[in-house]
Formats: sequence, C-alpha cells, structure tokens
Amino acid sequence: MSLSSHTGVMNFGFLQTKNAPAINRSVGIIGAGPSGLAAAGLLASQGYEVHVYDKLPKPGGLMVFGIPSHRIPADRISRGVRDLERRLGVTFRTNTKICCSAPMHEEEGDHFAADILGLSDLTDNHDAVVICSGSWKSRKLTIEGSDLAGVYSSLQFLFPIRAIKYAHSNVSMPDVKGKKVIVIGAGHSAVDVVDSARTLGAEDISLVYRRTVAEAPCGKFEIDRIQEMGVSWLEKRTPEAILGSDHAEKLVVHNGVTGEREELDADIIVSAIGEIPTPPFQKELGLENVRKGDVRWLNMTAMDNVFVAGDVLSGPSKIGKAVYSGLRAARSLANWLDLKAQSREAEYNFDADKISR
Amino acid sequence: MEEQKTLFIDYSKCIGCETCEAVCRFLYDTPRIAMSRTIDGEIVPLYCQHCEKAACQRVCKRGAIHRDAQGAVLHDPMKCRGCETKDCLIACPYAAFFATCKGVAVAKCDLCKKRRAEGLHPACVEMCPCDAIKFIDRTAIASLKTEASEEAFKRVMAHIRPKKFVD
Ligand SMILES: Cc1cc2nc3c(=O)[nH]c(=O)nc-3n(C[C@H](O)[C@H](O)[C@H](O)COP(=O)(O)OP(=O)(O)OC[C@H]3O[C@@H](n4cnc5c(N)ncnc54)[C@H](O)[C@@H]3O)c2cc1C
Repeated sequence: MSLSSHTGVMNFGFLQTKNAPAINRSVGIIGAGPSGLAAAGLLASQGYEVHVYDKLPKPGGLMVFGIPSHRIPADRISRGVRDLERRLGVTFRTNTKICCSAPMHEEEGDHFAADILGLSDLTDNHDAVVICSGSWKSRKLTIEGSDLAGVYSSLQFLFPIRAIKYAHSNVSMPDVKGKKVIVIGAGHSAVDVVDSARTLGAEDISLVYRRTVAEAPCGKFEIDRIQEMGVSWLEKRTPEAILGSDHAEKLVVHNGVTGEREELDADIIVSAIGEIPTPPFQKELGLENVRKGDVRWLNMTAMDNVFVAGDVLSGPSKIGKAVYSGLRAARSLANWLDLKAQSREAEYNFDADKISR
Repeated sequence: MEEQKTLFIDYSKCIGCETCEAVCRFLYDTPRIAMSRTIDGEIVPLYCQHCEKAACQRVCKRGAIHRDAQGAVLHDPMKCRGCETKDCLIACPYAAFFATCKGVAVAKCDLCKKRRAEGLHPACVEMCPCDAIKFIDRTAIASLKTEASEEAFKRVMAHIRPKKFVD
C-alpha cells in the first residue's frame, strides 16, 4: 500500500501516516460533500471506523451535483471517494436521507433518497456524528410571477444537468434548446447557469444584475468572458415582476440609470441569488450558538457527541472553507472523544483550538 | 544530485476554491499558499516557486533562507530575526512570503517538509479538486505549460507586479 500521492485523486486521506493504530471508535457523517469527505479522511486516517450517509446516489456534494463538470473534473473526486473506501475503509451509504421531523421533498435531490433514517439511529450506532449536509435551499425570487412555469432557482436548473446521469424518473433536464434565457444575479453560480444554458443550446442569454460590473461578485474577468461569448450583460436592472399567462414570458425590470421600466422577453428565467442553509434539526442542535462560537466544544452542537461542519454551519461558502471546517470538526471530535474516554473533558483548551479561524 | 521537485500551478485549471489554502492553514496555522483576488475578480492562490536563483535567499542578511537537497527553499526560524525591512517578503517576485504577526515573523512554503520525510506529497497537491497543482521535477515544468496556462499566469503576474509600478 503506497502512501505517496495517487495522481488523479482528490486525496481526502492526505493526513494518513504510516503507523496509525486502529482504534475502536465509530463515526457517522451526514453528507458527502467536501466537508464530510475531509472529515471522513481525517478520522479514517486516525483509525476510526467511518460511515458516510448521503441522500444522493453519488458522493461529492455540490462538487458533483452543483458545479458544472467543465470546471471541476468529476473523475478526480470519484477516485478520491473510491480511495477513501478501499484504502481507508470508509463505508458509504448513498440514497439515504437522515431526517428528523422536517417535511420531505423540500430541497433539490430529496427524491433520490430511498432510505430514511433518524438522527437517533446514528447517535445510537456511532460514538459520534458529524453533520455536513450543506446549504441547498435556493433563495427564491419573491416578485410577482415567481411561481410561473419556466422560472428556476440556480440549483433547480443546475442540479438535473448533473443528476440526469443517475437516471431517475423525477429528474428532467431544463429544456433550453433554442430558448431565450434570462439569468438574474452576478455571482459564480449565475455564471455557471449561463455556461450551462449555452452548452444546452440556448438561443439567447442575458444576465441581469441590479448593480454594476465593478460590484459583480464573479468579477469583471468572467463578465467580459461571457460577453465575448455573445451573452448580453444588463446591469443596474432590478427585477420587478414576471409576466406570463401559464408560463414565464417577460421579465419586468427597473433600469436604475434611466429610471425606466423595461420588459425583457424570456422563455426561461433563472434566479441565481444564493442558497440558504438547510440544517436538519436546526433548533435541537442549537446551530445559532455554534455559529457564534458560543459552545463548550469547538464545532459541537447542543447535542452531546454531535458535531457540525461546512456550509450547513457557515451558509454558502466555498470548497476550501468547507474542507477546512470539516477537518477542524473532525479534529475537535477526536480530541473530545479522547478526553472523554479519560473523563477529562474539562481540560479541553477551547481557545487553543480557536486561534486559527 | 537528487531530483529537484517544486510546485507548479496551472492557473487555467484553478477555480479559486481555496482548498490549497485551507489544508495549508489546517496544517500550519498561517497558510503558506494564499488566495488573492485580482482587480478583475479572478481568485488565485499565490505560492512559492522555489526559484533556482531565489531572490529571498540572496537578500536575507541573516542567512535564514537556504535550500535543501531536494531543492526546496526553506526559511529557518532559528536564524530569522524578523527584521523590520522584511527584505525577503519584498524581494519575492511571486508574493509568496507571508507576514505572520506571531512569534516567527514570516512564513513560507517548505513543500510540506515533514510530510516529505514520511514519503507524502505536499498537502495542497493532494487535495486540489481540479488537479491544478503539481509537485514535479523542475525540468518537467515546461512540458506542463499550455497556451491557456501561460495566459492565466500572465494575468496573475500583472496582478502581483502591476506594470505601472515596475519599469
Ligand atoms: C452552482 C454552484 C457553483 C459553485 N462553484 C464553486 C466554485 O467554483 N468554487 C468553490 O469553491 N465553491 C463553489 N460552490 C460552493 C461549494 O460547492 C460549496 O461551498 C461546498 O460544496 C460546500 O460543501 P459542504 O460539504 O458543506 O456541502 P455540500 O457540498 O452541499 O454537500 C452536502 C451533502 O449532504 C447531503 N445531504 C444534505 N442533507 C442530507 C440529509 N438530511 N441526509 C443525508 N444527506 C444529506 C447532500 O446530498 C450533499 O451531498 C458552488 C456552489 C454552487 C451551488
């Protein structure tokens, strides 16, 4: 077994050293996005028995089901997952949603879950649990006409493009070919929607943003690039309503420069205005306090032995931030169980662990 | 002579996800590879290229910077006096020295010296989701360069060494 780099692998087990003794501890991780996979890698490297649960058919989280494949090589991630399984003995249970009392079919991808388990099933069966369930609920437009057919959120639009591979009767690709598409927003997901719409053969694409290019979170380089591709960039336009009888036909915007009201033709309107966290069991876990750092143990929720990491805690962020959070939660979990095993919880030095935010 | 390995980042493959910085921060507290946002909004990691003729090594009056057998340019905190001029930081053409405001004044990449001693590769290389960071023999870098990578590299250099300030 080689420890050195496996080319072509996102090596979540990068912390594995030669002589990690196996320890008799089992951890359940909810969510196989970058935070969950990083936590799994660290704990498995330390000899933990690790089980990762994900409601989707394939591990990877938004790296696999959100970010378009032309930007992130899916192979490298799936090889990393396979490496976790084979080399580090991590067990993956896909198509399994962990639930409390939350209503079903609420977020993108819920319909893949064939199996439903309660959080207590996990806490009963593992020494500790890490919740890494991400931030999948899209912020919805609230203007008039937002619920017309043909209006999507960015994840509603992007998710099926990646998920269709796992053939499921409930997944249908947005039909974009030859259509007029308007994307609202100027973040990276807005750009991802634009690129995907183009790949799917959209006839005409416009990007509508309420501020100017200088303020666009995705930056001028990206805006220049998509304009070169023939996308219209419409800045200083605030969406006011969507018109249409049974299907979106026009987006009404207020032009901040001329003060005029404009009607833009559209067949499909995608709002890429961000995601919000969807923690299962928000209240029971006291996540608000974890966010503020007001906890007795870094990354631990109000429930003993239940930790939390990644976008579910921070809100939408980035792969790197999620990885960092997952690693820290895993380290914190290991420290906690170590001290607890010796009944020395009180000695934990919270501030020392906190220094590197 | 041993193989001289260093890092090479193909900026045209990089999506600015910060994973390199994150794992570096996790291991060393002060990351030695750090994200920077260009005026045009590209988010890129700045990193030490372990130059063959290292400017940092040349300017350090304390001799606190040396090169190990594998070609890694290392900073020796025992010799570093944390001088106020921070010549190393200013001399680095790639903005890859980082002031720490802690005990040791500056931090720089050592190609994960400890990990290498165990036969492991630098952590950023292992965890990059996009395979944009390579740990390779210096002589092989040329073969990795593409038109797109060179274009992207130029944009990064224009960001850290803007023409209007340099002749
Ligand atoms: C369109 C788009 C583009 C992006 N582009 C970039 C980019 O270029 N660079 C970048 O750094 N970041 C980007 N991001 C953000 C990045 O993908 C996320 O920040 C990151 O994936 C968060 O990681 P995570 O592990 O916290 O959660 P996720 O990646 O969201 O993973 C969470 C996992 O938990 C599972 N899950 C959720 N609830 C349950 C449950 N109850 N039971 C079982 N499983 C559950 C989900 O199925 C999912 O697999 C982008 C995001 C989007 C939406």
